[in-house]
Amino acid sequence: MLTEFDLKTEQNNNCVIINTFGYINNEGGQKIVDEFSEYHQNGLNYFVLNLEGTKIVNSIGISFLIEMIEKLNDSNGKLVFINLDPTIEKTFTIMGLFQFAEKASSVEEAINSFN
Amino acid sequence: MTSKFQQNIISKLSLQVASFQEGFKILAKASSIRELGRNFNHILRGSILVVDLNLFYKNNKNSNWEEIYVYNKKSKDYLKDLAISENFSLIAAKRKSYKIRILLPLNDGSYFGLFLGKKLDGKSYSELDRIIIQIFLQLLDNAYQAFISRQKEKQLIFSLNNRVVQLNSLIDTGIEISKLNNKKMLMELALERSVSLTNASAGLLRIFNNNRVLFQIEFPGGSNPKEILSSEFQIEREVEYRGLRYLVTLANKESRSGYVPFDETDEILLEAFARQVLNAMENEFLHKEAIEKKSIEKELSLAGEIQKKLLPNKMPDIKGYDLAGINIPSKEVGGDYYQIIKLSNGRFALVIADVAGKGVPASLLVSTLDACLEAYLEMQIALSEMAKKINSLIYKASPPDKFITFFIAVLTPKTGELDVINAGHNPVLLLRKNNKLEKIKAGGVALGMFDMGLPFDGEKLKINIGDRLFLYTDGIPEAMNRREEEYSDERMEKFFKSKCPKKSETFIKNIVNDIKIFTGNTPQSDDITALYLIRK
Repeated sequence: MLTEFDLKTEQNNNCVIINTFGYINNEGGQKIVDEFSEYHQNGLNYFVLNLEGTKIVNSIGISFLIEMIEKLNDSNGKLVFINLDPTIEKTFTIMGLFQFAEKASSVEEAINSFN
Repeated sequence: MTSKFQQNIISKLSLQVASFQEGFKILAKASSIRELGRNFNHILRGSILVVDLNLFYKNNKNSNWEEIYVYNKKSKDYLKDLAISENFSLIAAKRKSYKIRILLPLNDGSYFGLFLGKKLDGKSYSELDRIIIQIFLQLLDNAYQAFISRQKEKQLIFSLNNRVVQLNSLIDTGIEISKLNNKKMLMELALERSVSLTNASAGLLRIFNNNRVLFQIEFPGGSNPKEILSSEFQIEREVEYRGLRYLVTLANKESRSGYVPFDETDEILLEAFARQVLNAMENEFLHKEAIEKKSIEKELSLAGEIQKKLLPNKMPDIKGYDLAGINIPSKEVGGDYYQIIKLSNGRFALVIADVAGKGVPASLLVSTLDACLEAYLEMQIALSEMAKKINSLIYKASPPDKFITFFIAVLTPKTGELDVINAGHNPVLLLRKNNKLEKIKAGGVALGMFDMGLPFDGEKLKINIGDRLFLYTDGIPEAMNRREEEYSDERMEKFFKSKCPKKSETFIKNIVNDIKIFTGNTPQSDDITALYLIRK
């Protein structure tokens, strides 16, 4: 089903910043993981997920994010979320995502947390 | 009794116990089947001097084999040699391609398939090698069970956490929805949450008037309504509110392996969201209604204040006379009116009137009457002529069921002469000093009832020293008690005749008290208005 999900990725030295736009569901989650895997397989371990353009996430979308977190844990990497909508932040807290990933208020703060 | 061969095997295996334990630790840490298979190959390779290891995984007997770890690219061609069975098999093959093929059925219905090529030392697989392979396969099986249990545990935790998210979101959405007074935003929020919490791929909300779609929104934006309505899996919930039909359709529940049917929880969630929207819309409606009611009350109160200004706030001093008046409206705005207007020739006009009905329409007619009186009295035309003009104006300004009963007495203070007209009003009472009661009925029909040029005949009277004049509206004789009995003309006239205090104000106060005693706690049903004049 056609939806409006899109993402834009930037690389800052050894950090990858993935910016999402739209509903993170099965389709959105898959796109994020595919994008993540491309960089992760090339040895990049530090990721920032900027959810400024996302207001809604469903549990299938969350399962993809957990998959990313698990892969990064296995490779001693790290994922930091930024610009979380309060509803999404609450959802991630309940789902336990912040036990293995972090949140920051800006890209700079996220990148600094990798050092 | 164990043979020498067996003792040899046992002693060699004993040396490998630590390696088995270490191997299991590594296998048990795997976070995916691929990782499990990869680790198994590494461990086995180190134990039996073989690099040509090829491991495959099959989710169930009908699915395809997946490569987990492949050394020999041609090894997938060997898979046709693996006959699927519920039993473990380790078969030695005297082939160039591989030397051993293994089928390991797992207890969740999946399988591992393994092909081992030549050993590095070129020797054939010994009995010990086979035993070691079997031990490692047992460890792989155990690690796989542990992995599946962990996966199930993770899924359970995920599912429980997701239930908490759903409940929390239901509560939060209820609160957020109740704060919104924009119906479109309210429905957008409810649709978004219904879609995301049920894992629907899209949702459509349509509002129907009969069968015509008045409005529709879809989520996510860009979803095609036709695709939503023709989706394989759907749930719908319909509610009716104030003549409109609200229909929500959720399409294709998502899972990691494709679309699946919606379950009972999804139905419950959708129902709960629908109820929240319905309650929010009802609350918004009631809120608006309350605001409108408050606004009407404020306007009525303002109209009441304006109307009060039409009534005298202080009685004029008329030399040789004592005058008092009262108006007690039964609602915020009433239809009764009284006024004393000082005329330029030293005379005074005493007026009392009662508009049929109460409330705002009646008060508007009172305003019209007041304006007419102010204008025409200044013109000093004959009362009968003035009554005709006012009648015509009121007739034009009012609906057919509205009219005004009206009494005017123009008093010449020096002589006590009264020029009166009674247009359909209750008889005005005149009590002579000798306690003789006269009723002044002279006049015509009520103002505004007809506009056919009917005459308003006036009357000339004289009020002498010690005489008393009582003007009143029907709110006094028709005041009712809880037994629905009227205060009555008789009781009023008796009171008027028997109570003759020195001060007009005392009479007014006393008759109001007498009415209150009579009516008790029964709510006032009509306006009460009175004017009382004593010639001293």
